[in-house]
Amino acid sequence: MAKKLKVIGTPVPKHDANIRVTGKAIYGHDIMLPCMLHGAILRTEHPSAVIESIDVSDAKKLPGVICVITADDADVNNIGYKRDHPILKKGEANCTRDEIAAVAAETKEIALNALKLIKVKYKVRKGIYNTDDALKVNAPQINKFISGKFENKNIAEKFHYEHGNLEEQKKKSKHIISRKFTLPRMTHACMATSNITASFNMVDKKLLLYSSTQVPFLYQRDMAHALKMNPSDIRVIQPVIGGGFGSKLDMHPFEPICALLSMKTGRPVQILYSREEEFIASPIRQPMEIELTAGVDNKGNFTFREINIVKDNGAYTSWGATTPFVIMQAFSSLYKVKAVTFNSTAVYTNNVFAGSFRGYGNPQATFALERVIDLLADELGMDKAAIRLLNANEQGETTGQGLHFETCGHKECLETVISKSKYSKKRTSKEGDRYKIGIGLASMLHVGGGAKIYRSDGCGTILKIDPYGYCTIITGSNEIGQGSETVLAMIAAEELGIELKKIKVINTDTDVKPWDVGVHASRTSFVAGNSLLGAIKILKEKLNKKAAELLKTNHSNFEYSDNKIISLKSNDSIALDKVVREMHFSEPNELAIADYFYEPSSKFQDKDFKGNVSGTYAFASQAIEVEVDTYTGNVKVLNVYVAQDVGRVLNPLLLDGQIEGGVIQGVGYALTEELLMNEGKIMNPNFHNYKMLTAADVPNIHFFPVETIDKEGPYGAKGVGEASLIPTAAAISNAVCNALGLEILDLPITPEKILKALSLRSTNSKLKVNTNSL
Amino acid sequence: MEFNIISPKTKSELLAAIRREKHFRFGAGCTDLLMELRKKPNENLTIINLSKVIDAQFTGIKKSAKGLRLGALFTAHNIVVNEEIQTGFSALHNAALSLASNQIRQVATIGGNLCTASPSGDISCALTALEAECEILSAAGKIRTVPITSFFTGVRQTALKKNEVLYGIAVSANKKNAKNIFSNFIKVGTRRSMECSVVSLAYHIQTDENGKIIKAGAALGASAPTVRFAKTACEFLIGKNFNTISQKDKEDFAAKVLSYASPITDIRATAWYRKEVLFNISKSIFENPCK
Repeated sequence: MAKKLKVIGTPVPKHDANIRVTGKAIYGHDIMLPCMLHGAILRTEHPSAVIESIDVSDAKKLPGVICVITADDADVNNIGYKRDHPILKKGEANCTRDEIAAVAAETKEIALNALKLIKVKYKVRKGIYNTDDALKVNAPQINKFISGKFENKNIAEKFHYEHGNLEEQKKKSKHIISRKFTLPRMTHACMATSNITASFNMVDKKLLLYSSTQVPFLYQRDMAHALKMNPSDIRVIQPVIGGGFGSKLDMHPFEPICALLSMKTGRPVQILYSREEEFIASPIRQPMEIELTAGVDNKGNFTFREINIVKDNGAYTSWGATTPFVIMQAFSSLYKVKAVTFNSTAVYTNNVFAGSFRGYGNPQATFALERVIDLLADELGMDKAAIRLLNANEQGETTGQGLHFETCGHKECLETVISKSKYSKKRTSKEGDRYKIGIGLASMLHVGGGAKIYRSDGCGTILKIDPYGYCTIITGSNEIGQGSETVLAMIAAEELGIELKKIKVINTDTDVKPWDVGVHASRTSFVAGNSLLGAIKILKEKLNKKAAELLKTNHSNFEYSDNKIISLKSNDSIALDKVVREMHFSEPNELAIADYFYEPSSKFQDKDFKGNVSGTYAFASQAIEVEVDTYTGNVKVLNVYVAQDVGRVLNPLLLDGQIEGGVIQGVGYALTEELLMNEGKIMNPNFHNYKMLTAADVPNIHFFPVETIDKEGPYGAKGVGEASLIPTAAAISNAVCNALGLEILDLPITPEKILKALSLRSTNSKLKVNTNSL
Repeated sequence: MEFNIISPKTKSELLAAIRREKHFRFGAGCTDLLMELRKKPNENLTIINLSKVIDAQFTGIKKSAKGLRLGALFTAHNIVVNEEIQTGFSALHNAALSLASNQIRQVATIGGNLCTASPSGDISCALTALEAECEILSAAGKIRTVPITSFFTGVRQTALKKNEVLYGIAVSANKKNAKNIFSNFIKVGTRRSMECSVVSLAYHIQTDENGKIIKAGAALGASAPTVRFAKTACEFLIGKNFNTISQKDKEDFAAKVLSYASPITDIRATAWYRKEVLFNISKSIFENPCK
């Protein structure tokens, strides 16, 4: 990469920034199709009940109602990762989100009024709202659609992983720490609520969907399975998406329900969630209990980790059940560790089911691990920064799980935040001081080059240049706000010497674009970027040939700059658009078009979950300084120091956006955000009581990118989307513990928990108070 | 959520509407009302929209030797930008500033905050510490005044009768011999904006040139069925020196404030937490009065 880069590395504003801030962006909520109906869904009144009867006759009679459906009207397959989730529920309700009936009407108001006319007779059951009760021998089976391959009927999924000799490493350990951590439900709370518009064409039997999915091609397949259709008869168009964060990885029942309403009526149907519905019926971060036992030898080397996780799966299985895939990577490979045994169990309950959420289990794992590292350092009397530096991952390392770190910025990240935050400086608060200052440290490891969990983790690109010198990138990947369109345009501008304003990115239509797995696993810039670079290389070979012919030279050593192709030998140049016109209009009449499919070098893991699952890996460390008000229990985050191995900075402006957004989401996870449940019902389905942070709560964020230039990534870049959120809660927890001398074992760290712990300790100063017991 | 809406433009149109309508609610900024109606739809309801009333007595502020008179339709934003309030009555300024967000403060009114009679009303709490007087206008055009401490009669209940509307609020001028004024609103919650008080305390304490307390007002929010004026705590302070008050006196003051609290446990906090924090922030007012 000796060439000086002109576009890559510069702060290019987001491609779609102007249309978004001027209100011109077309979100799913803005779509209006001719003759469109409005759909609404009736959900169960009780999280656990027998549905004795459903009477829709009055609803059907309401003027303006066109169609009412229940499970009896739907010839469909179950959905979900385990196909254990009926789209419309029949016979019983198992979760507060359960869809009982759906209405399509001329207006939204009529549809909502019709829901009130549907009479459902329930026989209320005592539900099961925690995993202990669900695992009791006499507990009823919650989900009837599973094969029952596990020892308990309410187990939805299990994962086991191990490397090294656990017993041997236990013997070598000078200190062993064992703790149980409890993690809450957090919800994405996307700015745009869930939405879909479905239009079924009765003539050609094809279905058109305007959907906010993050994974259009998997969605197309899932929708086809649900509706018993051919996937290619379903066209998925993505309008501008107002927030994903993983929430749109699963297909949710409201989507095939909307399609069904359109199929029944022959008219387009739109379903838009209200904010309350968004809180109730969209996914969450998996709640879980993590038991972690870890050891350290007398020099401070990590010896072993033993992990047992019980996850509350809720009533149905979503992609959320597969988060141990990522969780085990953090435990097996973040910092060097000789032996690891990992077990996780997802247990059905009558609670709401989880989904995927930025970080995919990693924030939970990192919280537990980084807290225990602090405790191990304390036991050993070792500096908390030193123990991390000693065990940090290194370049060239292949971990026990088989993750290979061709490049690794872990140590540099740690060193950066330790020095920038003046971590070692003593933060003294006097006895009796109201405000106590503390600092905490945490690192993270995450996939940085996709994650091979499907047969392919690839992405296709079709690239064309038109006779006017404009470039169109048709990419399989899509934009959910993360900025991939901009990065792709920058790559094309860099390589083809075309101005950014002449580059278009087409990425919203499954009938047009080539295949891609979807937006997840921090993969888009890496995978789609490499795919685009592959297509550019092919297209340049064609252009070079024509340019050589037109410039009457027999070499192909050209530079693309200022919309021209310039011979590096003679300095002669020719306009790019002229070359394209000559390709098109003179023999042998070729198109300036190329396609390429990029498949990362990563490997599918074996049955023991071993193998190099990603093209590259991202590392990050954060040091966070907090001030705790001992009068109120409020924690104020003062400074967040972030160092992240991003491979190479492609666009500093977008990178800052990802870092800041992630950190703020992490602060919310640490301190304020929790979807509260009582007997299966959500208690705070509103922004009033779901404490998502506001602009006024944003701390000072000091970001230091670490560039390791990974040969696998486009220009050396790694994925960045999830990393910035992952260590934040861990670092904040460590900081609060540092400030107060308490043990934080659960999230969020609410003011009430802090005050209660302080009050307990005031009665006995030697008491080791931990928040999990409060 | 369905309702009829009428928008009187003058005081006389408003009074006529009050006399005419059978089943109505007032709406000014509607920041609380719409949330309430969404939760509890109210059939055949008419909203008398006060936001279109053009009448300085309702919308303006007037200064006299006696103090300030604020119209019931004076907005939280109006309070925030008023210099008189900012310098003379910081408790009210800070309470208004802590309310929701800048956007909501543009429409939220004093009258709305008071008449909603939420135990956690921030402006209500500050005005209670200032011992404001409520001016009430009847449909017949008669005015009566009620001390704010008698205005709140229960959770979301006020002394307003069916045919009455809140007209304005009078705040007494600070004492002539007051040399220092310690006035603040302390709001405890988890977020720094868009937050509903979990506990709040407003205080307005005037001292002479030596720091001797000559007048004290303190009110607690989100700690009892209504915002409450901590009368005995205020009386306790009279004659004490604000700058040299003893640790014991601080704690005695806090205990007296706490004696007015009978908080509930709800989704936002337990009663235990509310009491603990109320005590702590009450004693804190002498430690870092501006923090």
